[in-house]
Amino acid sequence: MQQQEPETTTLEGGAAAVDQQAERVSFIRRLTRIREFTILMVIVVLIIVLAVLNSTFLSPNNIVSTILSIVMMAIVSVGMTVALVSGGFDLSVGSVMSMSGVVAGSLVLGGMNVWLAVIIGLAASCLSGLITGLFIGKVRINPFIMTLGMQGVIQGVAYVVTQGAPVSVTGVSAGFLYLGQGNLLGIPVLIWILAVIVVVADYLMRRAVVARKVYYIGSNESAAYLSGIRVARAKIWIYIFTAILAGIAGILTLSRFSVASPTAGLGMELQAIAACIIGGASLSGGEGTVFGALLGSVLVGVVDDALVLLNVSVYWQSLVLGCVLIAAVTMDVLTHREKNS
Amino acid sequence: MNSAFKKIGLVSLAAVSLTLTLAGCSTSNSSNNSTSGNGASGGSAAVAFKGSANETYYMVTFLSGIEYWKGVYAGMQAAAKDLGVKTVYTGASQYDINQEVTTMQQIIAKKPAGILVTSINAKAMTPVINQAIAAGIPVISFDSDAPDSNRYAYLGTSNFEAGQKAADYLGQALNGKGQVAVVTTPGELNLDQRTQGFTSEMKAKYPNVQVVATENGNSDQIKTAQVVSALLQRYPNLSGIFADEADEGTGSATAVKEDNKTGSVKIVSFDTDKSTLDAIQGGTITATIAQGTWNMGFWGLMDAFTIHHDMLHPVANWQTAHVDPVPPSVDTGVTVITKSNVNAYLQQ
Repeated sequence: MQQQEPETTTLEGGAAAVDQQAERVSFIRRLTRIREFTILMVIVVLIIVLAVLNSTFLSPNNIVSTILSIVMMAIVSVGMTVALVSGGFDLSVGSVMSMSGVVAGSLVLGGMNVWLAVIIGLAASCLSGLITGLFIGKVRINPFIMTLGMQGVIQGVAYVVTQGAPVSVTGVSAGFLYLGQGNLLGIPVLIWILAVIVVVADYLMRRAVVARKVYYIGSNESAAYLSGIRVARAKIWIYIFTAILAGIAGILTLSRFSVASPTAGLGMELQAIAACIIGGASLSGGEGTVFGALLGSVLVGVVDDALVLLNVSVYWQSLVLGCVLIAAVTMDVLTHREKNS
Repeated sequence: MNSAFKKIGLVSLAAVSLTLTLAGCSTSNSSNNSTSGNGASGGSAAVAFKGSANETYYMVTFLSGIEYWKGVYAGMQAAAKDLGVKTVYTGASQYDINQEVTTMQQIIAKKPAGILVTSINAKAMTPVINQAIAAGIPVISFDSDAPDSNRYAYLGTSNFEAGQKAADYLGQALNGKGQVAVVTTPGELNLDQRTQGFTSEMKAKYPNVQVVATENGNSDQIKTAQVVSALLQRYPNLSGIFADEADEGTGSATAVKEDNKTGSVKIVSFDTDKSTLDAIQGGTITATIAQGTWNMGFWGLMDAFTIHHDMLHPVANWQTAHVDPVPPSVDTGVTVITKSNVNAYLQQ
């Protein structure tokens, strides 16, 4: 559903070819030139193999539940993409996710209107991103150590707020629960939310001038600075954006489960970074797309789902998942090396 | 025979508990005047069960931030209130052997009236427990024992037994037939023991209930929801899930609900945090297994208190005769909580 968007935007603008044959050839060439093409093919092949091995794999129910299972990871990955493109990354997203959920949940339990509580939860995420961004942008602290520190701080806030116990909200307005539990046109609302976030963020990252600056900073920070880009300010906004998306994932988790656990986002930062890298982002900055991050999340989700459907023993699952991810990224890297040479 | 013994133990515990609580309540209700509150339970006991305000008992745990220990400490605080003594809860915040041993040594240096301790590792904790006892501090072990140490008593239930109890409940609820799955976190000892208790009991007592899969929920709702929804696709006739950790319980409930199978897939969860209890009341989780944590704390303190005050004389000189003055091993029991009794826990 989201797949058309980036393809059309990348493919448009070609000169009108008179010869149909030539047009088809150049279409395929342009298709393979898309950064995400290899990983898309890996996913397609994997899905075909799995569908042959297990007939339930392509059942509508299984497709919906597989997409549903990656919604939170994908939303966090969208924010992570921007941080990675700028040459940094954010290890605090998992704790921001749990913090926003428990802050909102605790306020609701205290009798506050649920939407106000959600806004405060998101504002707290924003604040966390602002602090991270200020230290990375203005004080110029290394993103690794800064966001690792913030991971501890924000996780600490979540523990202090909850005293370690999950926050269980009951009797909240149906409107709020609809976000995480409702259906729209037969598809869970969570999936619609993910679709909107991905389409909008992908469009912005490809088209908006601000986003081009992020790529510029990630490719060559000093050149970007010398050319007049306000690097520090851009970085503040980047980490606010990352934190807000993590905060949204936390709020949606609360809505889906009616429970906010202080450990809800544990390990999410590595999953999100992995999804982005699988989708073509680079740890050295300047590369990566939102659509790629979505594909990375989908690949992880498909493999996770297959491990259960194919009865892979629980002790083997982690090993198999690791191998598949390495294989996918290797294939991606090799195909691009060939193209560049 | 074993279970008969346990039953007798529990009944007598309950009886003693009732009298003591009565005595405790009456003393605390009657404005600090300890002599006026002894009507219900006979004079001397109520006077004797009175500590001094500077008498401090410590509770020591590992992973001290987790919810589970709060139940134990609540029981300990309840007993302390009745006895008029102080309690302090401390421990190792990490799952770290060194840290817990160090904490114990620091507490021994303070010469407290008694220590309740749960051991991260039986072997590693034995020397430091013996060191405390040699210093004249009564040590009571709870939940996770150090059986080779000189601790006076151990109060707890085994995780294995808790898993068996879950299997018994689910086996009966399914009329002895159907497909069930376990959601757990492999590699965590206590959860592994619950899983083993569950699967072995199912196999032994309910041969027609098939444990079709054991999946990793990673103690996380999102991950659990993902594996359970995949399980429901793989086994459309799945009729039961045992989630042996609380977040895995709520995660399973959400996945089952999202597949519109609430009620037709019975979920047995673990522990009694509020989200689990709410889900039982709301019908998305069928039952949960509660361990007798409150009783571990309450009776643990009672043991330490009576030893500290030298109130127990099963034989004249138990110290030299090597006689344990308190029951050395107490089973604090496992309770299955369902919709019918969940309110009692929610009101706590």
